[in-house]
Amino acid sequence: MNRRRILAGIISAGLLGLGALFLPSFHKTPEPASPSLQPLAPSPSETVNSRAESEPPVIPAPVVVAKAASRPPAPQSPAGLPDIDPHKAFGSKNAPVIMEVFSDYQCPACKTLFTTTNRRLMDDYVTSGKVYLIHRDFPLPMHAHSRVAARYARAAAQLGKVEPVEQALFQNQEKWEQSGDVDGTVAAVLSAAEMNRVRALVKGGTLDASIDKDYALGQTYRVNQTPTTVFHSKGQTYPYPGVMTYDILKQFLDQLLSQK
Amino acid sequence: MMQSSPLNARRAIIWIGRLVLAGIFIYAGYAKLTMGMHPRPPMGVALSFFALQVDSYQILPTLGVNFVAHTLPFAEIILGLLLLLGVGLRIWATLVTVIMLGFFAAVVRSYALGLQINCGCFATPEPLTINTVFRDGALVALALLMTIFAFLEARKPHPWSAPEKVST
Repeated sequence: MNRRRILAGIISAGLLGLGALFLPSFHKTPEPASPSLQPLAPSPSETVNSRAESEPPVIPAPVVVAKAASRPPAPQSPAGLPDIDPHKAFGSKNAPVIMEVFSDYQCPACKTLFTTTNRRLMDDYVTSGKVYLIHRDFPLPMHAHSRVAARYARAAAQLGKVEPVEQALFQNQEKWEQSGDVDGTVAAVLSAAEMNRVRALVKGGTLDASIDKDYALGQTYRVNQTPTTVFHSKGQTYPYPGVMTYDILKQFLDQLLSQK
Repeated sequence: MMQSSPLNARRAIIWIGRLVLAGIFIYAGYAKLTMGMHPRPPMGVALSFFALQVDSYQILPTLGVNFVAHTLPFAEIILGLLLLLGVGLRIWATLVTVIMLGFFAAVVRSYALGLQINCGCFATPEPLTINTVFRDGALVALALLMTIFAFLEARKPHPWSAPEKVST
């Protein structure tokens, strides 16, 4: 009796195995970054006050369906990653692990990631040269002010003031989300002269091209929510949507770093 | 003694349940270990990446997350194979049902809380949506039916074993 049942089981397993060969993920290769990169320079890391650990748990991030977009060809680089704004990249460009964080200043989950995880990540991995952290703009269309915030942050980045501005934008997210007063939020952490330069850059209208490049890059990774972090290590790409607890992220990074 | 037919609705559901759930469990376990990548990433990387997904449900402490992440993929593959073999079906079907109920509860909770997270069910990124809830609900129903029918059928003589017993 049991022999027949075992035989039937083995035949079923064989059929399932054959069926599995047709499943798409058996043939899927890691998504390569569509490549091009500008010369990089480690960004100065300013101290950001960590609100961190006591932050409430993850708040949902909105989802947007990725649309097909025309992607302008960009120059190739040895690192294989395109259009890196050196003012929005932190750490050593030769780090064994690269993290691209696609983020939206108006997204609550991005705020959580920024306030709970990023500070410790910077201290433990980025400044020590283990991780190269790249901030990518992915302003979701459903957020009325996120693109404006991204413009201000990019403008501030050109002045080397991205960290205080990002901190101000995330920590006061609920306020400017309601009022739309991105300008006032940024002005609170910059000097009058800096703010004038930032306003001029924002009005200049040249920042949208960089934001659009980041957005288009996100679409090549099939980013459909923020935050999404794309890890690169040893030629492989690991996209992860959502917020990460630092302790669990640390384990993953340690595993990536221990690869030979 | 009443001769039970080898083909009835209960047995059909048990077979469907075994095949479907075994296939899904084996595939899910395999996908978690390989992340659907070629070449396969090191197992430590795959398991710690899966831990990120388990953690995103915000249910377990770090120790629990690590325990689940490092045991679940193997448990899924082993349980899938045991379901296929059919030996000790009632035990493994019960275990699979308990695990499926756990998955379902986690998915429903996350959906109800509005967490925009990745399901983590298979290798491919899959946002947790109402479709995930329905899919898991259907699989739980199948697992429950399979288990209940496996217990009920175990009370009867097996249709394939009866003739053998008579002839010897």
